[in-house]
Amino acid sequence: MTDVTLKINGETRSAAVPPETTLLKMLRESFSLTGAKLGCDVGDCGACTVIVDGLPVNSCLMLAGQADGREVLTIEGLATPDHLHPIQKTFEDCASLQCGFCGPGVIMSSKALLDANPNPSVAEIRDALAGNLCRCTGYTKMIEAVQQAAQVMRSAKSKRAA
Amino acid sequence: MRAFEYFTATDSKHAVALLAEHAPARVLAGGTDLLADLKSSPSHAPKTVVDISRAADMRGIEVNARGLCIGALVTHSEIMASTVIRDLFPALADAAHTIGAVQTRNLGTLGGNLVTAVPSVDSGPTLVALDAQVTIAGPAGHRTMPLSEFFVAPRRTALKPDELLVEIVIPAENLGKPAHFLKMGLRKGQALALVNAASSLRIDAKKNTCKDVRIALGAVAPTVVRAKTAEKFLEGRAATAENFAEAGRLAVADAKPISDMRASADYRKDLVAVLAKRTLEAACAQSKAAKQKGARK
Ligand SMILES: Cc1cc2nc3c(=O)[nH]c(=O)nc-3n(C[C@H](O)[C@H](O)[C@H](O)COP(=O)(O)OP(=O)(O)OC[C@H]3O[C@@H](n4cnc5c(N)ncnc54)[C@H](O)[C@@H]3O)c2cc1C
Ligand code: FES
Ligand code: FES
Repeated sequence: MTDVTLKINGETRSAAVPPETTLLKMLRESFSLTGAKLGCDVGDCGACTVIVDGLPVNSCLMLAGQADGREVLTIEGLATPDHLHPIQKTFEDCASLQCGFCGPGVIMSSKALLDANPNPSVAEIRDALAGNLCRCTGYTKMIEAVQQAAQVMRSAKSKRAA
Repeated sequence: MRAFEYFTATDSKHAVALLAEHAPARVLAGGTDLLADLKSSPSHAPKTVVDISRAADMRGIEVNARGLCIGALVTHSEIMASTVIRDLFPALADAAHTIGAVQTRNLGTLGGNLVTAVPSVDSGPTLVALDAQVTIAGPAGHRTMPLSEFFVAPRRTALKPDELLVEIVIPAENLGKPAHFLKMGLRKGQALALVNAASSLRIDAKKNTCKDVRIALGAVAPTVVRAKTAEKFLEGRAATAENFAEAGRLAVADAKPISDMRASADYRKDLVAVLAKRTLEAACAQSKAAKQKGARK
């Protein structure tokens, strides 16, 4: 067994898992965080995207042991029961998702992008979402939602600064 | 994935010791190739996996007397973000940017990319065009060799099972040598190369002639190959559009592409001619821009 202690959504959690367990499997099965999805299991679809130490990664391609001591942010860490994250809110407003399966991954990729780049161009948004496949929507409304979220987050920031 | 034993190395020395102690073992860096492989081919199940992703001595990017030294664990995202690399070799950052998508580039390492050694390896051509050397660590110490010799066959390198790729070095004499990389895939995002190519050269400012020409091609032979006929043709010749186009045509002679579900061999040959020409033109333009900038200073 591999002992893993890490911070997930701000809370320290521990688990002992077989070494071949992926971070995705540990999140879903040891910690019941089922927001990140198992799609392709080989890095192509992005449904499993979570943020590790600030960077979006495919959690299906990372062993749980590799996440030991790190900080992981999942979709469950974004919202509180009565307050959606701005990205979630604009995805809802723009009707950016249909079945929603790709949603947690797309939103985590968008979150990582906006944390690093508060005012991305359309080309930069497309680049940031290139690893997230959606079989329903055609992406256009996701890009709109990310642009709107960027605006909301920038004005919230300048209000806080004022 | 089948069960395996798992050890984490703290540095490259520790990793080499673990590989010797637990042979036969597989090395895990970013895991983007290894874990996909272990999942899709359960028969590849190793008894032991040695995780080198925390080996701190294999993560640096630095310029020293030997040249530009890039640790094998440097990720594609780190290459894209490195100001040292972007200043000296924008082509390396461009190549890194074409690999997979953000999530894969944040995990995948330069060393893992080279050791996987698929014919379409996107880090390969630029490094070969810049005469990169690799440093290998094993139980007997370190050895170095040209990257072009490190690639042996599809998915095979000169590494022995108990050895580790620790570092990639672009020699000091090539620091800042103009180079350009291009890749053609079936889509803009997340596509393997149908053909990728990189060229590097120097332009004699007075005579406007080419020297030290290197053209490296990927996905058109079992390993990354140099287009030596085209290189020889250009050496000493005028840096003109006609000569670059002719070099592109000659580069096809060194490409032995196959037809597969992605593209026919003939289409790949056409791509070789175009990509070789364009990378040469771009490297030439970079050389001239650098000289103008130098002159203004
Ligand atoms: C969705 C997706 C898209 C991709 N797209 C591209 C692409 O466009 N272009 C491209 O070139 N590649 C692509 N790849 C392949 C892959 O991401 C890269 O090759 C990556 O750089 C591999 O590095 P890694 O650290 O993840 O390697 P790992 O998976 O950790 O290791 C790969 C292999 O190398 C060995 N190894 C790793 N490091 C060392 C070392 N230092 N010493 C000795 N052995 C070592 C391992 O044992 C294993 O056999 C893609 C992969 C995925 C999943
Ligand atoms: S499940 Fe991880 S990328 Fe598809
Ligand atoms: S909304 Fe269905 S996969 Fe994206």
